[in-house]
Amino acid sequence: MKGTFTWKWAVLVLSVAALVATGCAKKQTVKSEGTQGDTGAASAPSVGEAPVKEAPPAPPPSDQFASAAQAGVAVTEEKPSQFDDVRFDFDKSELTEDGRRASQAVADYMKRNPKAKLQIEGHCDERGTAEYNLALGERRATAVLTYLVSLGVPKAALSTVSFGKEKPLDPDHNEGAWAKNRRAHFVLQ
Amino acid sequence: MKRSIGAGAAAGAFLLALALVPSPAFPVLYIDINAPGGKRMPIAVADCVVDPGDPSLSRGIPAILSADLALTDLFDLVPPTAHIETVTAAHFSGKPLSFPGWKMIGAEAVVIGNVSVRGGRLSIEMRLYDATRGTLLVGKRYTGTPTQLRSIVHRFANEIVFTFTGVRGVFGTEIAFTARPGKSRGKELYLVGMDGQDLRKVTANRSFNLFPRWSPDGQWLAYTSFRTGMPAVYLRNVSTGAEKEVVRTGGSKAPGGFSPDGVWLYAGVSQAGNSDIYRVRVVGGASEKVVVGWGLDVSPAPSPDGRRIAFVSDRGGSPQIYVKTIGVAGEARISTGAGYATSPSWSPAGDRIAYTVRSGGRFVVATVAPDGSGFREVASAPDGDCEDPSFSPDGRSLVYTYRKRGYSALKIISSDGRRQRTLVSGLADAGSPAWSPGR
Repeated sequence: MKGTFTWKWAVLVLSVAALVATGCAKKQTVKSEGTQGDTGAASAPSVGEAPVKEAPPAPPPSDQFASAAQAGVAVTEEKPSQFDDVRFDFDKSELTEDGRRASQAVADYMKRNPKAKLQIEGHCDERGTAEYNLALGERRATAVLTYLVSLGVPKAALSTVSFGKEKPLDPDHNEGAWAKNRRAHFVLQ
Repeated sequence: MKRSIGAGAAAGAFLLALALVPSPAFPVLYIDINAPGGKRMPIAVADCVVDPGDPSLSRGIPAILSADLALTDLFDLVPPTAHIETVTAAHFSGKPLSFPGWKMIGAEAVVIGNVSVRGGRLSIEMRLYDATRGTLLVGKRYTGTPTQLRSIVHRFANEIVFTFTGVRGVFGTEIAFTARPGKSRGKELYLVGMDGQDLRKVTANRSFNLFPRWSPDGQWLAYTSFRTGMPAVYLRNVSTGAEKEVVRTGGSKAPGGFSPDGVWLYAGVSQAGNSDIYRVRVVGGASEKVVVGWGLDVSPAPSPDGRRIAFVSDRGGSPQIYVKTIGVAGEARISTGAGYATSPSWSPAGDRIAYTVRSGGRFVVATVAPDGSGFREVASAPDGDCEDPSFSPDGRSLVYTYRKRGYSALKIISSDGRRQRTLVSGLADAGSPAWSPGR
């Protein structure tokens, strides 16, 4: 029934439907549908439809929410670091020669300052899907963590967080920016 | 998706009648939605009777309804300037329409409406007539508040589509997505109607709020938020704003989708740098591993029957799409194995999986059968990337992200790739669209 579908068929169907419509719909033809109180006995309980209801405005934020919002602001800011970032190749989480050198400087500092706590942020460039990049950033941060531990840094002093592609260091859209954004970033806590 | 009693009765009678007619092509419908470019239904939406109420509703309601119908490629709208007959209140109490007149201007179907607004109470009666036979196909009386006008009209537009195609329309459904508000560096969740109206921000905590996913009843959004400084997955009630945390443990985490019964939320969660796929009981919070092993496993998309998931894994060296039957060992790769393939979305009928694939340096949206056969490119742009597809509840369209350097937009394209429109533009870094279930 592709392009050859003709209106003869449609007319036949219409006629049939019309017969039915006239046959069945003589008395009660217009059905009522309330928007309130009509819970619809036939509807599945999990749906719980309140017909034609629009979402009310979101409730004002609670105190807890407000404090969380402040934390949120901090999350989106690039935190300054005394250490160089470890950079990665596209879709890779292995440390390069430069990356090992940058990590070595971090390890030296951590060993001199045994009370220091360090968070390793994993980041990605803007290409590809956000979810995959979030997991990739975690793998990058963990690769650096594992390398630092192999250099003698206690694991307990280290933590990781991935921001995927959400926090680019350079917001531009070219290979130069992408290279800077594929990184592990060190933040002393 | 509840079908109203009235529509159910009318459709039931309609289908019963067809069952009595020997026909090799049952169900025979007015419009064959599987025949792209086929003949459309010419329909006239008459000016509404308004008494009492704002006179602009007379044209305003048909305008909303016509805009809905025009979003499909199923109807030809007879322009109001061609209409001859003025519909009056009498047409809702027994007076027949002058159907030959409507036929004369080319209408095969006619929609009329009768509206009143009394004391903050909105009452609308809408009727769809077959102009050829002069018979009522479907009639509905709606009551609500004036703010519910648009959603009421969307509901009747869905009745019209259902009457002619046997498949309910998706008017009134919404798309959840993420974008950066103003000059903020954070990302918030947003909602927008499938017609591009009613754009609104859902979260406002100025952190990163990512990956919205709808519960099957359309009441909740699962998403990842960094609002405490570390990522966690939350469930948020779309109407009330109430929230609860569902996944706290692990490193990076992203919800993929709910099981169709709403019992499980599937998510990719990293432990020690390696992301695996888990499912968490929405009530109770107990979790199970679903896919484990070497490689990043993310973006679980449950099939409509709940028996399988499609997901992304880079176990073969680059991210690719795999399908797994829940509880059965083994996973089959369905993308080609070349390049970069992510973000699977299962069609509501279960017959296609849409995903993002890198092709010639660009990301494009493609669909494939769940066994990996029948690859088809659906959305691509010569100058930008098309990513993150999500099917409409009727399976006839996909929403996806278009990105070109700093510019981003959400677009909707028919599943056959023939018709496309921009849903949202002008917001920074719009992405991760998720189409709500049917309403």
